[in-house]
Amino acid sequence: MTPNDFPQMEITPEKRSMWRNLSYVWLVPVFALIVSLGVAWQSYLGRGVLITIEFENAAGITPKDTTIRFHDIVIGTVEEVSFTSDMAKVIVSARIDKTVAATLNPETLFWVVRPEVSARGVSGLSTVLSGVYVDSAWVPIENSEARAFVGAAQTPLIQPGLEGTRISIRTKDGSSLTAGAPVFFRGIEVGQLDTPVLSDTGDSTTVEAFINAPYDKFLTTDSRFWNMSGFSVSLGPSGLSLNVASLGALLTGGVAFDNVVSGGDPVTDSTVFSLFESETTARESVFTQLSENSVTMAVIFAESVRGLNAGALVEYRGLRVGQVSSIGAFIDRGTGQNAVRLRALLKIDPQTLGLAADADQATTIAFLESLVEDGMRAKLATTSLFSAALKIELTDTVGEEAARIGPDANGTPVIPSIPSELPDFTATAEGVLKRINNLPIEDVLNQAVSLMASIEAIASAKGMLEAPDAALGLISEMRSLIGKDDTQAIPTELRGLVGELRGIVTDLRAQGAVDQLISALGNLDAASANIATASGDLPALIADLRAIAAKANDLKAEELLEAVTRVMDSANALLLTDGMKSIPPALASALDEVQAALRDLRDGGAIENTNAALASAREAADAVAKAAADLPDVTGQLNALVAKADKLIATYGAKSTFNTETLDLLRELQKTAKAVAQLAQTIERNPNSLIIGR
Amino acid sequence: MENTRNTQQLLTAREAGLVGCSVCGRVHPATASVCLRCGAAISSRDPHSLQKVWAWLTAGIITFIPANTYPMLVTETLGSETRSTLIGGVLELMHHGSFGIAAIVFFASIVIPGSKFIAIAYLALGIGRPQRLSTHRRHQIYELVEFVGRWSMIDVFVVAILTALVQLGSAASIHPGIAAVSFALSVVFTMLAAQSFDPRLVWDADKDTHA
Repeated sequence: MTPNDFPQMEITPEKRSMWRNLSYVWLVPVFALIVSLGVAWQSYLGRGVLITIEFENAAGITPKDTTIRFHDIVIGTVEEVSFTSDMAKVIVSARIDKTVAATLNPETLFWVVRPEVSARGVSGLSTVLSGVYVDSAWVPIENSEARAFVGAAQTPLIQPGLEGTRISIRTKDGSSLTAGAPVFFRGIEVGQLDTPVLSDTGDSTTVEAFINAPYDKFLTTDSRFWNMSGFSVSLGPSGLSLNVASLGALLTGGVAFDNVVSGGDPVTDSTVFSLFESETTARESVFTQLSENSVTMAVIFAESVRGLNAGALVEYRGLRVGQVSSIGAFIDRGTGQNAVRLRALLKIDPQTLGLAADADQATTIAFLESLVEDGMRAKLATTSLFSAALKIELTDTVGEEAARIGPDANGTPVIPSIPSELPDFTATAEGVLKRINNLPIEDVLNQAVSLMASIEAIASAKGMLEAPDAALGLISEMRSLIGKDDTQAIPTELRGLVGELRGIVTDLRAQGAVDQLISALGNLDAASANIATASGDLPALIADLRAIAAKANDLKAEELLEAVTRVMDSANALLLTDGMKSIPPALASALDEVQAALRDLRDGGAIENTNAALASAREAADAVAKAAADLPDVTGQLNALVAKADKLIATYGAKSTFNTETLDLLRELQKTAKAVAQLAQTIERNPNSLIIGR
Repeated sequence: MENTRNTQQLLTAREAGLVGCSVCGRVHPATASVCLRCGAAISSRDPHSLQKVWAWLTAGIITFIPANTYPMLVTETLGSETRSTLIGGVLELMHHGSFGIAAIVFFASIVIPGSKFIAIAYLALGIGRPQRLSTHRRHQIYELVEFVGRWSMIDVFVVAILTALVQLGSAASIHPGIAAVSFALSVVFTMLAAQSFDPRLVWDADKDTHA
């Protein structure tokens, strides 16, 4: 096998131009290159602008990771964190989107958003998970070249770019002002405070406040700001008043404003307002602010002006017309001796007097002159009951010596003054104490003591002590009267009587059982019936007697005691009258009399009478029994003399003395019982009658 | 391969006046232009082979640059976004002490694609010039490049799988970066470059050298 055995291949050298020979495949790398370069260029373009932000520290900032945001949109990323040349601060280099960077204001604020817990709430919670980020705020400008910024240490409370008005509030005491505290307008939060800043001289605090649009339109030059920190309690002539702001303001404090008077001019940024202590002072400040054309007057006092300060009120008929601008002393040589006088300079606002707001001095003085001619005078007065502070009152007096407004040594017009009625509060208090001191307290006490002693003597007097004993005796006697055997025996005896009567009837019936005397029996029945008729009244009588006994039993010792107590009360009342000492013996004797009366009552034999009546009733009954005992004989005779029986029984019947007597007896018994019942009722109705005797 | 040591006796098809079909392998006379069996175009040597190789290789290298400079993976975890490039990922793995995995990633993502560029460029440059390495060795290199090519997509597969798996909303999610596309393109272009290379040219050069 040699190469020569095969036909030679025609190999034509490639003569074509390189370009024509070029494969289409070359388009691929070209395209790839273009795309790659395009991507690279795009990346380069989108790389952003490098800016530097100076921070106190870079806590939580991670290069390549921490983002820069504006309105919560990522506008860049931190590239590098390094130190300043003096190692004092941290420089954070970040790439910001080109278009955004072009609008960066040199005043742009950058701050690191971290989780934050404050009295006003929790913020930045999302950064707990995602890590911190750098937030920013600025007012966009065009073609900015600013690339180096200073970052804020804390979240700025008033961020640039917000619509509203920035004002300054000046106060002496910034203790209640905290950064971020709310600003209220009629209870609505309309803005917030920035961090309070002490002035260079250190005598006041200025805090910037930002009032959000659209509420800033309510701000005028006449707006008054006052402190609204938490709550305030004030005790004034109108009573106790408690003001509580919102809960947030309670924690962080806050200020409120209102337009106390209308017609102020709109404010511009950085207008300075002063902060009043409370809403009341803020509202009153309108009146304390005097108009520019107020008139300076002087008042000269001969007395002490302790309690009168510069700024004290000047009132005319209770209306504030001005204030005291200064107080000084001078030596009055006019009277020949060197007397020290005190002079207060007043500023009086013509507007408050009812004059035109732009009234000139001469007009005002002339007006005051006319008032003085009518008797107006200046005098010192206390501002309130509990205050030693004084005010100057312009009062209309009657009958004062005529006086005029005259210039003093300095040419200041002087309003004539009169001495005040209440020069000093302390003097008044002293007077009150002196009066109290002069009260004859000891005499009164002595008299009271002796009074007590005499009362004690009366109470411990022998007769007085005996009075209850006597009453007790009375009661026990009453009780003994009721509990007496005789009294209690009445029902028993009556019962015995009835029993006997019943025995008679039984006997009669037994006798009437004789068969042979059936015909006579009818008469006997009639006689029995008569007796029954007579005895029909008995139950009522017995009932009456029972009632008497019951009433006698029911005579309650308590009622009596009550009555006695009442009597005692009246007796006690008697102690207050003169000659009361003679009462106890009298009372004792009265009781004695009552006792005697009771004794008489007992001795008088009311009960014995009753008993006797009952006894006679018994006798009568006995007689009846006896008669009844005789009946067998009679019936025996009747056995023999049936014929006469009718006649006998007839006489025994309707008109027999037995019947009549029995009935009479019973009637008397009934009367007696009624009398006893009446007595019992009388005693019951008016137990006092037992004692008093009426 | 038993012929590798006696290259002197080697006879190319071209020298024998024959041409083989590159598709079905049937041998035709040198004059044939269409395969009688499968109908594929026949040419003894691909006249544009080198051009194509260079073109694809260039494209592969170009796309390999963004594949390394741009982020391969964009990982979002709880609002924070992490972009990691190939090298960055390798460094991070090393930082965490996973040297083995770092080595694998480095090898698969940097070394192998880089070696392929070098190998193909070497082979292509070697055509028509005297070479130190024998034709057989160069052919072996070619076979190796062809073989490795299909495994070069591992990185892309990993990115694709991660992207598909880790989509947990705001908690964690992974997106492919520009580099993933670039890397895939780079691998594809490199494979095409290897494919375009006509290994018969190696033998021609060898023949020329020895002739």
